[in-house]
Amino acid sequence: MPLHMARRMRRSRMLSLATIAVASAVVLTGCTSAVQKAESPDGNSPTKGGILHIVQAADVQPATLFAQNNPNFSLTRTVFNSLIDYNHKDLKPEPELATSWKMSDDGKALTFQLRKGVTFHDGSAFTAADVIASLKAVQRPGVASQTKSVATAISDMQAPNDHEVVITFSQAMSNTMDLFLMTPIIKAAAIDDALAGKSFMGTGPFSVKQYSPGQGFTLERYDDYWKKGAPYLDGVQITVVRDSQSMLSQLKSGQADLAMDLAPLDAASLKDTSGYELELSDANDSVQYIASNVTVPLLSDKRVRQAISYAIDRKRILEQVDGGIGSVASLPWAESSPAYDKSLVDHFARDLAKSKQLLEEADAVGKSVNIYYDAGFQPNTGIAQIAQFDLTQVGLKPNLIPLQASDFLDKLRTGGFDGMFLTGHGFGQLNPATLVKGAFPFNADANASSFDNAEYKQLANELWLSNGVPSKATLDKMNSFLLDQQFVSDLVLSTHTFAISSKVKGLSETMLDYLDLDSTYIQK
Amino acid sequence: MFRYTLRRLPSAVVVLFVASVVIFFILRLAPGDPAAALAGPDASTATVQAIRHQLGLDQPLITQYLIWLRGILSGDLGNSYILHAPIAQLISESLMNTTELAIGALVFAIVGGGLIGYFQGIAKRRASQATLSALTSFGIAIPTYVTGVLLILLFAVGWRVLPAGGIGPGIRDFSLGWQYLLMPAIALSLPTGATIARFLSASMRQTLDQDFVQTGIAKGIRPSRLMIGHVVPNSLPPVLTVLGIQIGQLFGGAIIVETIFAWPGIGQLLLQAVTGRDYLLTQDLLLIAVLVFIVVQLITDIVDAAMDPRIRLERA
Repeated sequence: MPLHMARRMRRSRMLSLATIAVASAVVLTGCTSAVQKAESPDGNSPTKGGILHIVQAADVQPATLFAQNNPNFSLTRTVFNSLIDYNHKDLKPEPELATSWKMSDDGKALTFQLRKGVTFHDGSAFTAADVIASLKAVQRPGVASQTKSVATAISDMQAPNDHEVVITFSQAMSNTMDLFLMTPIIKAAAIDDALAGKSFMGTGPFSVKQYSPGQGFTLERYDDYWKKGAPYLDGVQITVVRDSQSMLSQLKSGQADLAMDLAPLDAASLKDTSGYELELSDANDSVQYIASNVTVPLLSDKRVRQAISYAIDRKRILEQVDGGIGSVASLPWAESSPAYDKSLVDHFARDLAKSKQLLEEADAVGKSVNIYYDAGFQPNTGIAQIAQFDLTQVGLKPNLIPLQASDFLDKLRTGGFDGMFLTGHGFGQLNPATLVKGAFPFNADANASSFDNAEYKQLANELWLSNGVPSKATLDKMNSFLLDQQFVSDLVLSTHTFAISSKVKGLSETMLDYLDLDSTYIQK
Repeated sequence: MFRYTLRRLPSAVVVLFVASVVIFFILRLAPGDPAAALAGPDASTATVQAIRHQLGLDQPLITQYLIWLRGILSGDLGNSYILHAPIAQLISESLMNTTELAIGALVFAIVGGGLIGYFQGIAKRRASQATLSALTSFGIAIPTYVTGVLLILLFAVGWRVLPAGGIGPGIRDFSLGWQYLLMPAIALSLPTGATIARFLSASMRQTLDQDFVQTGIAKGIRPSRLMIGHVVPNSLPPVLTVLGIQIGQLFGGAIIVETIFAWPGIGQLLLQAVTGRDYLLTQDLLLIAVLVFIVVQLITDIVDAAMDPRIRLERA
């Protein structure tokens, strides 16, 4: 190219760059800031008003509204109420939509007195018919609930008047009240729509203004909420942000006020960061475990399962994978559970010598074992790698097999793992019967370990069919059995985390980790 | 031109049909069960079976395929298993969002890549050429998940001048919406922009060696007019071809950018569909992706043919 042409080109090039720079500056300074807009609550008072911006990794799953399911934690108690709540220390029921209740002496008939003056978000009155319809929904074959065994034991439901429900059970059960804690009351005529994600007609502090499937919810304050003065917030915006790091960025940029269940190390990074707080749910019901398919020859010997449990370094998992959030565990129970026994927490403290001895006795040294995990959940990979290292130390040959969540879930349900598997479970915080009758890894009737054991079934039934809290002797027997059999080896008793901006005050959770925003406000 | 277009349609239909068969059956081979995903944790086998029946997943595979095909041919894409919403609505909303992102990225890629390619094409100094070449290599080599995170750290967490993610009001309120769009569009545009730059500069260097350029100079045509009016247009065909492919890749590559920036686009929807084994939604999305590729390729061929009659005659 000739020289004069090149010079002209250079001049026009500089002119173009200058124009772009000026245009960018004008655009950047001349418009409303999206960040400022998200940071400023709409209300002016420090205690009333404002929109709480929540980010969470998965969309709400309406089909599982009657079950405890992590993606629903932000919605269930904000839009709905259940009949009762639990005291977090002793699990004593407390009034919500039911003001009082009376259980018959034989534990087979329960009468609820319902709160008067409560309305659904469409203005219609809450009545006994809505309670009965919601409980009937839990009984349906296609509806999931961890307390389904209690719901299906209901033999009759009567409503003597609009504000009283009499429920008759075919048997007395120790975890009867767990059903009423877990079941949100949905307007009778709107239950199918709620399960199909079409409408969400509850009595909770917020009504659903808009639901964009896969993207999130816009909730607005329900002015006729039965708790006078509550809620303080004008509304709640729930947004699905699939990546934990992106959730953290949104929180740190001021765009979000609350990030649900960040990956443990992301959550731990906020511990000492000013401007943010890490709220830990005191339900402590997020237990990481490694379990065995007991039909696999190597794992059919309980000495091998015990050896595995002795080999795994729980403290390392707690520190390196969970960022120190939680405590080591040998049993599934949280402190609130009647079955919790502090003296057994360290039962499986790491003991390589004992582990090797057990493996030698079982002639299992040098044998290989598959360990499956859901690679979509970041901490699982860390735990799997630690387990692999630890089991190699005692002479096993572990192979890690990462799976996609849906594949893992399917195998978990069908007992399709030809080795070991690691994931998490809940329900150690409620009445013990709910765990052994409803939570999949421990369900005595059908579990992912294919652990079909008459003694376990009998113990589980003993625990379940007790009229009131099971006796200490029964609970001790169950604990000894679980420690001895180790078809599930609990590792770390962690909890669900809520990372919040320091300006968010008054946040609380139910014993099922559902957000309770009745008293939440955004400080100016 | 019309006949040229018509001749290309039957092969497009065949590709679509074959794609529908492959998509349907390969998805069924993948492990996982949408009913289990829908039932949630701790659901009993009876509950999962009841859901399978509700969804029609207990019917023979061929019946399920024919029902799906009939739905598509009649314009009914069905309902998402997991999201419980009409798939047509889900796809149109998220496609709109991805289109918004892709157009933003395309504008950045064409303007940025075009400018860099142009200057690289005419650059004489080695230093300038090396700098611009390094810039384009950087654009191609650095993955979008790195540039995306860097942009967030700089402009959202560090300076707090732009939102870290989300779509905001979108085009409904562009004075706010563009701020949500800026970072993801830039992150997404970099590989495409760099590719455009490379193709344009290479093509321009070839064109500059052509005799007609020397003739133009000899005739005294102004350099800018010669470049804009003759060199650039003659250098565009290969750039347009690669642009056609890049547009498809912009939509495909959006999945990572959408995840990082929580942009509720088609990539996010596909991710959700695949991880939840939402068969119907996944099938529809993949088939539409195939359709988009076919259409874009068709349009590229038509534009090529319109710009260069030799192509039209060769393929006639």
